[in-house]
Amino acid sequence: MNATLHDSEAMTARERSAEFGKRAVPYLLVIPGLLFVLGVLGYAVAGGFVLSLNETDMFLNKTFVGLKNYIAIFHNPRFQSSLWRTLAFVVLSIGLGISMSMMFALTLYHVGFGRRFFRGLSLVPYFVSGIAAAVMFRFIFTTSGGFVNYILTTFGMEGPSWLGNPVLAFTVSILANAWFMVPFATLILLGGLQTVDKDIYEAAKLDGSSGLHTFRRITLPLIKPMMGVSLIWVSYISFSTFDIILALTAGGPGRATELISVYMYQIAFLELDFGQGSVLMVMLLTFNTLLSLVYLRFFVYGDRRYKVVS
Amino acid sequence: MSTPLVELHELRKSFGPLEVLHGIELAIEQHAFVVLVGPSGCGKSTLLRMIAGLESVTSGTIVMDGRVVNRVPAKDRGIAMVFQSYALYPHMTVRENLSFSLEMAKTPRDVKQERIESAAGILYLDALLERFPAQLSGGQRQRVAMGRALVREPELFLFDEPLSNLDAKLRVEMRAEIKALHQRLRSTTIYVTHDQVEAMTMADLVVVMNDGRIEQLGPPLELYDRPATVFVADFLGSPAMNLIAGTVAESEAGPVIDAGDDLTLPLSPGSAVRPGAEVVYGLRPEHLRIGDGPAGLAATVSLVEPAGFETHLHADVGGQVVRVISTERLDAVPGDSIALVPDTARVHLFDSRTGARL
Ligand SMILES: Nc1ncnc2c1ncn2[C@@H]1O[C@H](COP(=O)(O)OP(=O)(O)OP(=O)(O)O)[C@@H](O)[C@H]1O
Ligand SMILES: [Mg+2]
Repeated sequence: MNATLHDSEAMTARERSAEFGKRAVPYLLVIPGLLFVLGVLGYAVAGGFVLSLNETDMFLNKTFVGLKNYIAIFHNPRFQSSLWRTLAFVVLSIGLGISMSMMFALTLYHVGFGRRFFRGLSLVPYFVSGIAAAVMFRFIFTTSGGFVNYILTTFGMEGPSWLGNPVLAFTVSILANAWFMVPFATLILLGGLQTVDKDIYEAAKLDGSSGLHTFRRITLPLIKPMMGVSLIWVSYISFSTFDIILALTAGGPGRATELISVYMYQIAFLELDFGQGSVLMVMLLTFNTLLSLVYLRFFVYGDRRYKVVS
Repeated sequence: MSTPLVELHELRKSFGPLEVLHGIELAIEQHAFVVLVGPSGCGKSTLLRMIAGLESVTSGTIVMDGRVVNRVPAKDRGIAMVFQSYALYPHMTVRENLSFSLEMAKTPRDVKQERIESAAGILYLDALLERFPAQLSGGQRQRVAMGRALVREPELFLFDEPLSNLDAKLRVEMRAEIKALHQRLRSTTIYVTHDQVEAMTMADLVVVMNDGRIEQLGPPLELYDRPATVFVADFLGSPAMNLIAGTVAESEAGPVIDAGDDLTLPLSPGSAVRPGAEVVYGLRPEHLRIGDGPAGLAATVSLVEPAGFETHLHADVGGQVVRVISTERLDAVPGDSIALVPDTARVHLFDSRTGARL
């Protein structure tokens, strides 16, 4: 009696470990890649954090200074204005980027043809370096001989100095940034639209909902997780964009387009103040992480569909 | 006699160059339960969706309540539809799913409340109102889908294969529930299915479709007893009717069917058939009896399926497989020789060229 009981227990234990093994395989396969990414990322982040707490001279000798770099940066008016500028840049970029992506995604969803072509095309910005993109935008917006002003002249209008005027330069920076990030966000949203069962739209139609109302009450809530992911993408790019701005305006005219990322570059690599540069890096990282967490909370995990009732 | 609620005249539908409905003519009376049945791809869903206003009309007219509605938008046709996929709004609770259409129609709050309560009561949804569709079983989702149709108090209910995602037992239960609901509410219903058992058990009027045409329509038993074509004969009834091709011949006892291979099938003496005519001889499995003596068609049992109340039997008769249903417990085993006695009064004859009933 005891023996059989023992036997059957041994069996289930073995079965359980086999079951566990089967389920563990995917995780085991992911671990090396994950360790690599986390290692590199962790080293960079930890290194940056350490740098932000030290003063580093040109021979790379470190002296621990506590929060001195943070205090210095936060009291610097150049930093304060670049912070507000960055927030404005990010908010406007998100607004423009998400609405453009949504419009493109909806168009592609309804038109259908060219969807596959676009999918290929939409990766082009990521093959082009930010510098090349910026050069392209310079060609378009250069005051004399630029594409936009050439068009304006043919209509008998005199084009403004796009990159010489602070407000216009800021606007062009946002456009260039959007050009870079919109295609991928469009793909994410298009994927989201395609997951919605067409019957649901027909049911809504029969229920008397249509157009904008259906979009607001049915489409948007149903693609919320993808909306969250594209928001993460768009915000991340906007906070970190740097090469495009540097090559397009170099932060100018004056400091009109000097975002935190650009300021970070200048302080760290031109003024060689690694401590204060690292403070900015830590800040950008914190912004990005917090914002991503907010999006995940409200768009992905806050999705009512997955709410479990007790 | 009241005018029909829905009338379809010469209704045609093409997708590009492909015509899938070829002139549908149909009148649906108030309070009727009409079942559209036919094989996959015959155009049932397309027809239903045209009535719903989800699919445009290529030519012909749809009349509802005496008014041509070809161009009336779906929401203004006074119809509600239950989809095969249920198409519940996944991000809304059951209550919100039910109230969505009422909100759209700007229904006053108390009326809305009342209708939701009443639909929930009828469909046993009271305890589920705050749940999301993902938290419901298949049968419960099916009920919510019906509830969503019910709260609108439509003039016409449309169902497109609403039970095909349920397991066999639940399907039978829901079938009975839908039927009971109809008997209680008397709301006109058009129900699409490819399951002939659903068609037979639920319908007041069965419309058998085949390849974009109406093959036959009528009350279920009328179609069962007097199928107008070989297609209908074959489609309705399970196990299916035995259909054997042959030629009308003369014998001393009157006309018979010569089905080749020394197989001669008897007809009732009075049958008015022209000798030499090519026909299809049809006989339902329940109209073949296993004879006590040697009289009848010599057959060899090839398969025995005891189904409880009745026994299904496959037998080889002159090279043809013949299905037999017996309500007796049989002790036959494959290989046994038996004699089958056809009930000649129940024989159906069809023209083998046109398939039409003779
Ligand atoms: N949007 C469409 N475009 C092109 N052809 C279509 C379209 N919808 C349906 N068809 C065609 O019309 C015919 C009828 O389709 P329908 O969906 O009405 O069949 P059904 O009788 O409902 O079949 P099932 O039982 O499989 O649901 C089919 O041949 C189908 O391929
Ligand atoms: Mg169908």
